[in-house]
Amino acid sequence: MENSSKEEYTIRSFDLETQKLLKTALKDPGSVDLEKVSNVIVDQSLKDQIFSREAGRICFTIVQAEAKQTNGNVFRRNLLNRLQQEFKAREETRKRSTHEWVCLVSFICNIFDYLKVNNMPMMALVHPVYDCLFRLAQSDALKNEEEVDCLVLQLHGIGDQLEKMNLQLMDELFNLLRDGFLLQEDLSSMGRLLLLEILEFRAGGWTLSETAQKYYYSEVTD
Amino acid sequence: MLTYTQQFVRWLFHFYSKQCLSIKNTDTKTIANLKKTGASRWTHCRKRGADGNLRKCHEVEEPGKSSQSSRRQESFTTPESEGPVSRVKNWGDEVEAEEMRSNVRRDMHRYRRRILEADFPQRDRKISSGSSDSRDSRDSKESPAKGDIETDENTLIRRQKQINYGKNTLAYDRYIKEVPKHMRQPGVHPKTPNKFKKYSRRSWDQQIKLWRVKLHAWDPPAEEGSDLQQIEEIDLGEIMDFELDVECSADTESQCPTSSGASLSLAEAFKWSLSLVV
Repeated sequence: MENSSKEEYTIRSFDLETQKLLKTALKDPGSVDLEKVSNVIVDQSLKDQIFSREAGRICFTIVQAEAKQTNGNVFRRNLLNRLQQEFKAREETRKRSTHEWVCLVSFICNIFDYLKVNNMPMMALVHPVYDCLFRLAQSDALKNEEEVDCLVLQLHGIGDQLEKMNLQLMDELFNLLRDGFLLQEDLSSMGRLLLLEILEFRAGGWTLSETAQKYYYSEVTD
Repeated sequence: MLTYTQQFVRWLFHFYSKQCLSIKNTDTKTIANLKKTGASRWTHCRKRGADGNLRKCHEVEEPGKSSQSSRRQESFTTPESEGPVSRVKNWGDEVEAEEMRSNVRRDMHRYRRRILEADFPQRDRKISSGSSDSRDSRDSKESPAKGDIETDENTLIRRQKQINYGKNTLAYDRYIKEVPKHMRQPGVHPKTPNKFKKYSRRSWDQQIKLWRVKLHAWDPPAEEGSDLQQIEEIDLGEIMDFELDVECSADTESQCPTSSGASLSLAEAFKWSLSLVV
């Protein structure tokens, strides 16, 4: 029950008609146009950063509901193919709007986190996710606080899973981050701090030691 | 007045000499190209393409040409790949393939456990034919060695797809609602073929066919349309993915080579036609 109220909270950002559509999709997926539903969800995820971090849960619920009700895969297939289109166009999206770009990354990672196949992450998404993170680790992106923030947020959420799927790529990614932190001069101080934190986070086995926690996250008393 | 046989032989010579000419007129470059696509100079004689689909008449498959009627394979398997690799990587399809593969692996673990469980209680006792200790008591007798199960993933995935076609029907839904598993009588009630047992390709395809035919007994009433649809769902392309080679023995006059789906070499055809004249 708590889960459904969480989902209901998230869809409050939609207009009433869309809310109704989504609610029906969650309970009776066979009765709605699932392609439309997937498009609605993707469109909103690219606009609303908070939604992009929560949409994965809704998608997972719809996928399960559809599988149970009709043994079908229509929603998941449409969602993934639409996502693939957006992913292909990511460079243009980034040029057009940094905000849309970070929403896209956030959404793809959220989907990777929630949409599991037989309790395993979708292998098809591993490389695309890494591609996005590598893009965020380029020097032109690291100087944007918004992009660094997105990068470290994703790594906090799914870094350990990604590492399990491909250790070598994670090592390469962190080499870039380390180099960026040490050598890049046009980083903001917040950006630098965020990078330092994520470097320590991974070094600690994807968790922050108590001292580190205190260092990064507690208020400094004057 | 020529006999029918003589008329036929005449026609046959005429037919094949025409083919000879058209082959002669095919330049070496086209032949080389045809070879690259796996087609041969006889390709345009065949009724079905390599993928099992019927072709339009006198069509030559040209590589790189995306003609409406040429249905290139959506996926192919190379020695390096871990199974069918899609031509155009489409996330929806990829994830579905992943899911099928992991489902098959999970099924295999379950099956292995079931076999092991079935074996143990029977080690000390003689089994009477009426014994129904474990569900698979008959199965485990038939697969004596534990290693004697089908393990090739591609085969298992292909078989699972065929099973899924059958289970995805109204008839199957109605059947499982009507007859719970413990009420099933062997012979009377259709039983899903066991994809883990070792069978030849033909044997397996035949079992699937028979199973699906049996399931039709539970088709919803007065729905002619859905009946036909279900029959078409049997993917003939998969079942018939080899060319039928007609063997012409010089002995029998009665064996008449059919032109549908058969690829006759000139030599064989001439051999046969000569046998009629002699």
